[in-house]
Amino acid sequence: MKYLIIGNGAAGLNAAQTIRSKDKEGKITIFSNENIEAYGRPLISYFLSGKVSFENIFYRDKDFYKKEKINLLLNTPAEKIDIKNKKVYAKGKEFEYDKLLIAAGSTPFVPETKNLKNQSNVFTFLTFDQSKKIKDAIKADSKVVIAGAGLIGLKAAEGLYGKVGKITVIDLADRVMASVLDKSAADIIENHVAQKGVEFILNTSVAAVEGDAQVEKVVLSNGKKLDCDIFIIAVGVRPHISIAKEAGIKTARAICVNEFMQTSAPDVYAAGDCVESLDLLSKENKILALWPNAVNQGETAGANMAGGKTLTPSSFAMNSISFFGMQLTSAGIIGGVDIFIDKNAGKLRRLNIANDNLIGFVLINDDQRAGIYTSLINDRVKLSEQEYDIKSKDIGLNFYAKEKRRTKIFGKED
Amino acid sequence: MKKVYAFENKCLGCGLCEVYCATAHSKSKDIIKAHKDEKVASAIFIEEIITPKSAFYFSLQCRHCKDPKCIKACISGAMYKDENGIVRNNKDKCVSCLSCVLVCPFGAIKKSADGKAVSKCDLCVETGFPACVENCPNEALKLLDENSEELK
Repeated sequence: MKYLIIGNGAAGLNAAQTIRSKDKEGKITIFSNENIEAYGRPLISYFLSGKVSFENIFYRDKDFYKKEKINLLLNTPAEKIDIKNKKVYAKGKEFEYDKLLIAAGSTPFVPETKNLKNQSNVFTFLTFDQSKKIKDAIKADSKVVIAGAGLIGLKAAEGLYGKVGKITVIDLADRVMASVLDKSAADIIENHVAQKGVEFILNTSVAAVEGDAQVEKVVLSNGKKLDCDIFIIAVGVRPHISIAKEAGIKTARAICVNEFMQTSAPDVYAAGDCVESLDLLSKENKILALWPNAVNQGETAGANMAGGKTLTPSSFAMNSISFFGMQLTSAGIIGGVDIFIDKNAGKLRRLNIANDNLIGFVLINDDQRAGIYTSLINDRVKLSEQEYDIKSKDIGLNFYAKEKRRTKIFGKED
Repeated sequence: MKKVYAFENKCLGCGLCEVYCATAHSKSKDIIKAHKDEKVASAIFIEEIITPKSAFYFSLQCRHCKDPKCIKACISGAMYKDENGIVRNNKDKCVSCLSCVLVCPFGAIKKSADGKAVSKCDLCVETGFPACVENCPNEALKLLDENSEELK
């Protein structure tokens, strides 16, 4: 068997590992458009800050690829797929496959901006390479402008904090983390980060930039101009689907797959941030660009490519992130009732309950066993049939009624 | 594999398991130093079920799942299953993002005391026998094979 995998991230790598656990002899080749082995992508902000060294950024041990007999082709982006003749083209060569996985991830979205043209101090923040370039470019007095107050923009700000002169974050929305939080929860995060000295300019977008070789000023939609030494564009990402689309594989906003991670083309699978998959809560196909989801989908695709018949686990939005020491943990659908909120102390516990099910939660600096909440969402547990009112105290396994509790502790269900 | 099992009809909620867990995972292995100086977090959660008529307790630690969600959620590759099936955390690689806490269905992982990593049960792999089981005064914690008759 010849397996080809496009992408060396969480989905691609875990697919390769799963294939190898089931097929000891098959030939596995991974195409990577990056220049280093698989790393924890979210760690790039920790690398920027210096909290994680280059040696510790890697996702697997040094000898992983050799041990698992996986042929990793670095700096080798796959350019074209021929689904009829089952071939992939890269760097002028052709590679045959019996089974193919597209796990190409996403690419930073760079909006059309007046006078923006690859100036040398313009960066995105999605890869190790980009993180390293930013790290090499900054000086102690650099004025950094970050477009985008979402996860990537805020993590870039955190990574740069204390290493540069000034950080300004701009966002079109009225709040930070707009895709994950509503205004009241977002305000807690924003206040905390602003107190550290990061400036936020919200309800505002970037209209243009000034400067030719370098961006010297960032012009905002309100006409204001900001001095700029480093400009980071972090307004969002787009799934990398062009290679699939050009090959005639069915795509919508991302690559369409079934619950076995098969695409519309025979023997072609897709997984991770470049696919749309069923959201357990909304029952709609969504791009759930989450690390655990990519791992699950990669493992499922890998198992099926190696001859299995495995369904991918259900998924819904979830996040665990810290910003400048403030911990945000959330899952499911935004909204619900605040069990407590303390804007000054920066604490929040919000539970979203509907039809006797937990459907979402937001915890800020609330040291809870959040996985139990996540599990209650995932398993559609009837809240009224358990030991106590979920709103009345801290969550524990003691929330489950006796029989369920016993099976959980004694059983082998997980 | 063998895991630690909690029997709520025997547990007194005394908390000795937590004390000895923290001690076993300290550098000094000294009960006083572990708590006063090192401030080690135990890898145990003692839970109570209080009803108008009675109180029950149990002491919970990592279930060492067959297909652990924490490993899949781990962004740094710090969480792993060793050759004996024990789910372990490499503290050098852990960045304390708490993704594992977000997905553990048992809520069996917590932030370490210094906040730089997470604490979870490793079945006392270093010393050879779980300190919580060894020091439980009422046999409310037992190290049993997962197919043991006592669990049926």
